[in-house]
Amino acid sequence: MIEIINSGFYTSIQDKGRIGFKNFGVPISGAMDQHSFSWSNRLLNNLTNSAVLEMSFKGPKICFHEDTFIAITGAFMGPKLNGFSLEMNKPIGIKKMDILQFGNAIRGSRTYLSVLGGLQTQKILGSRSQFKGITTFERISKRTVIPIKKLSFNLFKGSVIKHTMINFDKNILTAYEGPEFDLLPENIKHQLSFKKFHLSHLNNRMGYQLKEKITFKLPQIWTAPVLPGTVQCTPEGKLIILMQDAQVTGGYSRLLQLDDDAINCLAQKGTNDLLQFRIKKLT
Amino acid sequence: MHKKDKMSYLSLPFSIFKLHPKALLLEWNQKPSQELLIEIITFKAELENKLKEISQITIGYHSLLIEWNKKNLSKDFQFSTLSIIYFSIDFKKPNSNRHWKIPVCYEAEFAQDLEWLSQKLNLSPKQVIEIHSRGLYWVCFIGFLPGFLYLDGLDSKLFFPRKNRPILKVPRGSVAIGGNQTGIYPEISPGGWHIIGKTPVTLFDPNNKPYCFAKSGDTLSFKAISKIEFKNIENKIIEGSFKLT
Repeated sequence: MIEIINSGFYTSIQDKGRIGFKNFGVPISGAMDQHSFSWSNRLLNNLTNSAVLEMSFKGPKICFHEDTFIAITGAFMGPKLNGFSLEMNKPIGIKKMDILQFGNAIRGSRTYLSVLGGLQTQKILGSRSQFKGITTFERISKRTVIPIKKLSFNLFKGSVIKHTMINFDKNILTAYEGPEFDLLPENIKHQLSFKKFHLSHLNNRMGYQLKEKITFKLPQIWTAPVLPGTVQCTPEGKLIILMQDAQVTGGYSRLLQLDDDAINCLAQKGTNDLLQFRIKKLT
Repeated sequence: MHKKDKMSYLSLPFSIFKLHPKALLLEWNQKPSQELLIEIITFKAELENKLKEISQITIGYHSLLIEWNKKNLSKDFQFSTLSIIYFSIDFKKPNSNRHWKIPVCYEAEFAQDLEWLSQKLNLSPKQVIEIHSRGLYWVCFIGFLPGFLYLDGLDSKLFFPRKNRPILKVPRGSVAIGGNQTGIYPEISPGGWHIIGKTPVTLFDPNNKPYCFAKSGDTLSFKAISKIEFKNIENKIIEGSFKLT
């Protein structure tokens, strides 16, 4: 098992998410940056849906109560093992009672910590992703103890795959025209493509609000399905980009839909970061 | 594209919009109604039955979102399967919808906004309770929170705008009115609706099938109960001997 000594800013257990329960109003959840999440598992040859720790903005301090292997991907949070700097993006052997500590995110916003065999919390509705009302706890807190797999006597061979890292400097998000995009006049469509937007401080696992508004009054719509990456526009012109924990339906106009890579890229952004949309038509 | 195929796409009652490489949004060009929702629910069930390529389907008042489990299925495949399935459905077939009686205690302890709301509506609290509990409601779909039922059928006498400032902790099971809707908060959550009562019934339990007793298309009514009955039902729920009818 691993023990959380302190929890960091916002740390939670995540996997690919909960698929097939939207009928009950259950969000997908799952890792915000699915790219870094997948790599953290691939580096350990874990199953692709193994649960990992997702840390946001400031990472936790963790004590390992057994031998294992780990891999760290995503944002750089200056990880230290027993006080010594630790390399990211490769498998690392851990001994019982080792202490792993993270600091503030310096590049990117979210870091993923995978453990050999994946975190072994209870699966609920097919997923270990933490979400209020579904899992017992909605995130990790101080003293949380998380079961992990016993290291088998087969010697673990680390994966040597070269992996493609998220480009943290990239701020161009590929987006498709949303269902209500054509309600916009040409000048606003132009603004959406060429203007630079700042991420507001209102950003969490449910959604990211942008600082700049658009100056056009859009009607509310009949409550309709939305997805992670849907860019909604409120009647006051506020733009909200839905993320993994977003509700499954919404009543605001859907102007754009981010592509999956754009969601991963956005998941690594923080307050005041600049963004620009590159709008494509899906055919 | 063959001319014949194009024709059949055109005669579908919904538009088809590619929202994402793996998701297709169907939108009916008409105002929401019970008939339309039944059509959407029936279509959804048929699609789920017949297409193994579907990962999940979400519905709204006049739309349906299909998420495929594969990327870039051909347009022809997507469009023609949808038309074939749509036109093979017998929409007149009786459905398996159920009616649920939800016990609600409207007493002051559980109804923090009832007194205030009644005054604003120029009704007595008793009248509000009477109107609310004689209504027949229709479950449109579940959204907002796990187990939150979007209900249609609130008497217009009880329409009242939401609170300007949502409160942070609406108790679990609260029955509330917001705008032209009424609903039950399945979990403690922030909320801007006016709280007029509380049900002891569990709306969503991720550990027990069927997770939520109600589904789209079911009907529902509220039955006023006393505080003592509330406690009784609550105890029965803990024992596991309560059965909602």
